[in-house]
Amino acid sequence: MRQLIGTLLIGLTLGSIYSLMALALVLVWRSTRVVNFAQAGQAIVTTYIAYEIVTRTGVFWLAVLFAVVAGALLGAGVEYFLMRTLFRHVDEGPVAALAPVIATLGLLGVIKSLVGMIWGNDFRSFYPPVSTDNFVLFGETIPFSRFNILVILSTTVVMIIFSFIFQRTDLGLSLRAAAFQPEIARLAGIRVGPIRTIGWVFAGVAGAIAGVLITPNDVLSPASLDVLLVFGFVAAVIGGLESLPGAVLGGVVLGIGVSFVLNYVGTTLIFPTVFVVLLLALIFKPNGLLGSKKVRSA
Amino acid sequence: MHKLSTKKAFIAYFAFGWLLLIVADRVDELRVYQGATIAVTTLAIASIILLTGYSGQVSLGQGAFLAVGAYAAALSQTYWQSPFWFTLLIAILVSAAFGFILAFAAGRMSGPYLAGTTLALAVGLPTLANQFSFLGGETGLVYDAGLPPERFGEEFTLYKWFFWIAAFVVLIAMFLLRNLLNSRFGRTWKALRANSTAASLCGVNVAQSKITAFTISAGVAGLAGALLGMVSIVAPSAFPLSLSFTIITGAILAGVTSLLGSMLGAVILVVIPEIADVIAHQLGDSEKITTNLPGFIVSVLLILTVLFSPNGPAEAMRKRKEQHAKH
Repeated sequence: MRQLIGTLLIGLTLGSIYSLMALALVLVWRSTRVVNFAQAGQAIVTTYIAYEIVTRTGVFWLAVLFAVVAGALLGAGVEYFLMRTLFRHVDEGPVAALAPVIATLGLLGVIKSLVGMIWGNDFRSFYPPVSTDNFVLFGETIPFSRFNILVILSTTVVMIIFSFIFQRTDLGLSLRAAAFQPEIARLAGIRVGPIRTIGWVFAGVAGAIAGVLITPNDVLSPASLDVLLVFGFVAAVIGGLESLPGAVLGGVVLGIGVSFVLNYVGTTLIFPTVFVVLLLALIFKPNGLLGSKKVRSA
Repeated sequence: MHKLSTKKAFIAYFAFGWLLLIVADRVDELRVYQGATIAVTTLAIASIILLTGYSGQVSLGQGAFLAVGAYAAALSQTYWQSPFWFTLLIAILVSAAFGFILAFAAGRMSGPYLAGTTLALAVGLPTLANQFSFLGGETGLVYDAGLPPERFGEEFTLYKWFFWIAAFVVLIAMFLLRNLLNSRFGRTWKALRANSTAASLCGVNVAQSKITAFTISAGVAGLAGALLGMVSIVAPSAFPLSLSFTIITGAILAGVTSLLGSMLGAVILVVIPEIADVIAHQLGDSEKITTNLPGFIVSVLLILTVLFSPNGPAEAMRKRKEQHAKH
């Protein structure tokens, strides 16, 4: 029983971080129909920025603030400079459909090697604002720490803010309209171009927070967020790749699943499990848990 | 573009192979090793060209198929004491079977779904080696092509022997691939890539063709993996995620629709680290720069190619020629 509760709690912590990464991927997918593999790269830059601030000032929240601002700027920059150029140049030919995927992959490589050149490839530890030691309850250790509580709380707050923006504001309405029917949105007077950039900005913010929250329980290196990218993608697919609540749900489901494998089977089977989950999701729930009925074609 | 007849192409491949043998005799050990690497990379890139350039599917995890091929070959050598040529056959078969199963499951996927799934595969598969003890863990498995025959003499080095094998196998495979891509299959895949709805209206079985392409591509990648295992090692560290990315980069750099381009791509990939070394030396040999510069150059090239010549230099030249002809 104790182990079960611990597993669920860990799953919730992991899941909330996967949800944030999945949200980032879904936001970009909805705004420009691109799976942004560079999201991990953008997040690693913001995490290193946060790392520098934490080691210098010791103020975690200041670091988060900087990471969020940097994430927003990076997201906007990538959309404005890379994606717009790409869509202007590449419109036909056999690679046109694959070009965005490959471009974001290239960007991931560029960012990771640049980060490696600046900070080096060695592992760094990122000091958490509160303890990552496990709680001891009635003489028994529960695999759950103050920091995990912080992770769950802060992701919940972020989700609430996001859903408020998307459901209750004009900006959110424009974002949803532009994602749903760009042409009609344009006719309705929405400036789809800038709205797309804003989608990338929100994605950058979500990715930045995910990076800052997962690193204190892990180590920091130029490649340390690649795994988060894969898990975020799987979570997004489980949720349907189109739906924001789906991404959150997918992340939590995946997090709890991963946590069960971790605690009951062992670390080496995590990736194969995630891969099988991804395949099963694609075979049996190809539109995702909360996705629309539309057929999946890119 | 004018296409050579099969007979002429065979002569061209044969002559090229002969040339390679002569050149291999005249250069030092490092170059021979690089030659073997180029041959293996060429084949790996060719598997992407078949998959992406012809059938229009994208795989970010080709390294996983290379790993499957390498492990299958090494296992068959370790446990069945198979002769070397037979291990290569096993590599192709097992890897193709693996690709078939995956394609069957992923048959309905396209674009980003396939990209993400293959990416997850490339991340996940190498970790299996640590789960099952017969796969040898981090140290991997022993796999070798045997010593060169004695009649080649004392001076015939091991790497030269590797190069001979790799070049020979790759040339044969490329010749067969060339014929396959010029056949009905190749034309069907091209039709699919251009417009799958139109193709299916013309009587092409879309799902089946895509699965066939995926299976063959996986088999080719498996063969490349076995050869890579021969040249380097069969262990998880030989098949990192960056291997998959490197292969894609090579394919895109050289033009994803031309089979011969795969050789150019492989040469670029092997030359870049050398150039990066020189530049890093100029910049003062800091360790951070030296380790990251090759990846940086490759990635920048990848982005620039996608932006300015997405279909590769060959396609761009063809387009220019067509425009020229119109005037």
